[in-house]
Amino acid sequence: MNFISFIKDKILQISLIIFGIITIEIFLLAYPYGNFIRIYIPLSIFTLYFVSIILEYFNKKRYYDNIYRLLSELEERYLITEIIEESNFLEGKILNEILEQVDKSMNDHVNEYKYLQEDYKEYIEMWIHEIKIPIATSKMIIENNKNEVTSSLDEELDKVENYVEQALYYARSNTANKDYYIKKNKIEDIVNDCIKKNKKVLITEKIAINTHDLNLYVNTDSKWIIFILNQIIQNSIKYRKNDGKSKIEITAKKGKENVILYIRDNGMGIRDGEVTNVFEKGFTGTNGRRINKKSTGIGLYLCKKLCDKLGIGLELDSIQNEGTEVRFIFPNSSYIEMN
Amino acid sequence: MQKILIVEDDEKLRNEVEIFFNNNGYNAESLKKFDNTIEDIININPDLILLDINLPGTDGEYVCKEIRKKSNVPIIIVTSRDNELDELLCINYGADHYITKPFNIQILLAKTNSLLRRSNMEKVQDKIYTKDFIINLSNSTIIKNDKVIELTKNELKILKYLTEKRNQIVSREEIMDYLWESESFIDDNTLTVNITRLRNKLEELKLKELLETRRGQGYILR
Repeated sequence: MNFISFIKDKILQISLIIFGIITIEIFLLAYPYGNFIRIYIPLSIFTLYFVSIILEYFNKKRYYDNIYRLLSELEERYLITEIIEESNFLEGKILNEILEQVDKSMNDHVNEYKYLQEDYKEYIEMWIHEIKIPIATSKMIIENNKNEVTSSLDEELDKVENYVEQALYYARSNTANKDYYIKKNKIEDIVNDCIKKNKKVLITEKIAINTHDLNLYVNTDSKWIIFILNQIIQNSIKYRKNDGKSKIEITAKKGKENVILYIRDNGMGIRDGEVTNVFEKGFTGTNGRRINKKSTGIGLYLCKKLCDKLGIGLELDSIQNEGTEVRFIFPNSSYIEMN
Repeated sequence: MQKILIVEDDEKLRNEVEIFFNNNGYNAESLKKFDNTIEDIININPDLILLDINLPGTDGEYVCKEIRKKSNVPIIIVTSRDNELDELLCINYGADHYITKPFNIQILLAKTNSLLRRSNMEKVQDKIYTKDFIINLSNSTIIKNDKVIELTKNELKILKYLTEKRNQIVSREEIMDYLWESESFIDDNTLTVNITRLRNKLEELKLKELLETRRGQGYILR
């Protein structure tokens, strides 16, 4: 708000006042008043008006400038109604009232969606718990009736299980609530668990596993990190070169401010220009579009999102035809030192 | 025979688990009504309980807590709830293991075996006696008469597994599976090397003919 625009806004009022002063002056000139009166009356009217307009200008300017300043300082601008100052003039009061109502209605609206989303997530979680029972039953039936047909079914069931798991974590990744539980975990246990999960395919496809220096502790939710790591290992398996020399190396290093977990493979790697896009939702890349790889573009996107929630850094480097390295960066927290 | 009680409301699943444990040398039984769960469990007096959390009318966490007040029977929670908090809660209520559905039945069996062994206060067996040699698990050696030969970690595991499955053909995949399950993630070549070394060590004890290779099928310890 600057003075010129303020004056422009008041132009009608000002012209009326000037017109009024001229009219008075004409009256005064038409009658035999002294020169003092002829000058004093119009001048005092003008001065009074001018002073009042200046006071109003500074009052409003201070008020609106303050709002703009607060707005620029706020990260969540809709919170302005919570800290806005009470106005001492009518328009300001009206503005506050309008803002408050708009804000309230927007809040109700947002809450409704939050509630819907939470509700949907709860439904998905419940559904997933339900679906796991028939999967478990089917696996038991297979175990009790082992033959070639059922073990092939078993492999398909593993895939189903995997997709179900992905849906669960996708639902969890989208809510504002904390669904995880942080505790101290040994990296070795997490890694071993993931390798054992993929044991069947790793053994039959003759993929060499090399794990070393994993005797380190990190603070995280073990279920979440196992899911995330599992996605990475499955990618290494999926995008291996079919030369029978595939290997996956998993190791960890303790830095000054963090613990880094490395997963390196010697697979087909990712094309140069595509590395930066791998964490985008729906990005499949050249590898993903190859026949029979059937990439959904969800896996890494989800990993990144979940890592962000857990406060873990996730990085990926790759050289085409040589391999890929994925790094998990677990920051140290004061909590770790306490324990 | 040791009695395992399955507390699971899904009928088909509990039947399959029952069949599986009955096939694996246990006397498995399952609870079919859930009106008086805790009393029923105490009356059956099992050696081990497989407990689901979501039960009609009650929940497993409560059951677990109540049983712990009265008995020290090993409890394995088998559930589809896979979050860390539930797991912690169950362990705090006195459960011994927490396994999520869909579970790997071999892991469940292994955990059952080890829990029962411990709860029976059997001393951890540190020597395996066979008709022609002794395996000492505590210092990783094989002994025949007075001759002692050291084994590496993987050789010991392989020999132990073959001894357990004596006179049966054991495939390479089976051995690999066993080694991976005990967290030795070795590859195919390493297995070949390990078997060769093991055979050489057996030869030093004049036991070479015990370990036969069956082409295309695997190995057999005579």
